[in-house]
Amino acid sequence: MPENEIQSSRKAKAKNRPKNLNLLTIRLPINALVSILHRATGCALFLVLPIMLLLLQLSLSSAAHFEAVVSILNSAFSKLIMLGFAWAFFHHFFAGVRHLAMDVHWMTTLMKARYTSKIVLVLGVLATLVLAVKLW
Amino acid sequence: MVIELLTKRYPGMRAWLMQRLTALIMAVYSIMLFVRICVLQPDTYAAFLEFFQPTWFRIASWLFWISLSIHAWLGIRDVFKDYVPNMQVRSGLLKILVVLLWVYIAWASWLFLM
Repeated sequence: MPENEIQSSRKAKAKNRPKNLNLLTIRLPINALVSILHRATGCALFLVLPIMLLLLQLSLSSAAHFEAVVSILNSAFSKLIMLGFAWAFFHHFFAGVRHLAMDVHWMTTLMKARYTSKIVLVLGVLATLVLAVKLW
Repeated sequence: MVIELLTKRYPGMRAWLMQRLTALIMAVYSIMLFVRICVLQPDTYAAFLEFFQPTWFRIASWLFWISLSIHAWLGIRDVFKDYVPNMQVRSGLLKILVVLLWVYIAWASWLFLM
């Protein structure tokens, strides 16, 4: 078969492949869940960077601004949002440590990876709960 | 062999290594920051200024921010590579990302080093 025919038949095959992109029917294995959450929390943390810089700048600029930032962050609404981003940070942190561990070949078999996935999920939630108790 | 993997011929290996190195720096800084907040508990403006005063802490924070920028660049770039197949849209988004990261670096440098 000439080259272009091979390519077009490949393209046709690729088109006919079954696809399942329905997010409601995809059941993620726990490792995949930790992985996609690592990515999602990374994106969320990136988006919150300017707010962090702004709050830091305000709180350093004067005593009045510092008090204003403290009172803003003390509202129940802010605390909830902070807890959300704190969870994002904790999850990203622990899942990242798990990645680093796997890079040096710790916990790389399927069973161990599933086990460490559970640990990462639990630690993220646990750290957030501890922070929640501290904040209230 | 290992050294060769880190030359320009294998940019993916460099990216991989940078992502890990910056992750390590940020992890160490985060733990340091957590301990420092727990010990000093800066709950007034004066205490907060003092918390922020030491040169070593400012330099550490600045290094953290540089690491964060590199780490975010590699991470968000991967996200765009995965989910934005249109090359024009992707390169536009990457340009916006670069500008944002540089603005944040300038902002953070001003806060940490001035």
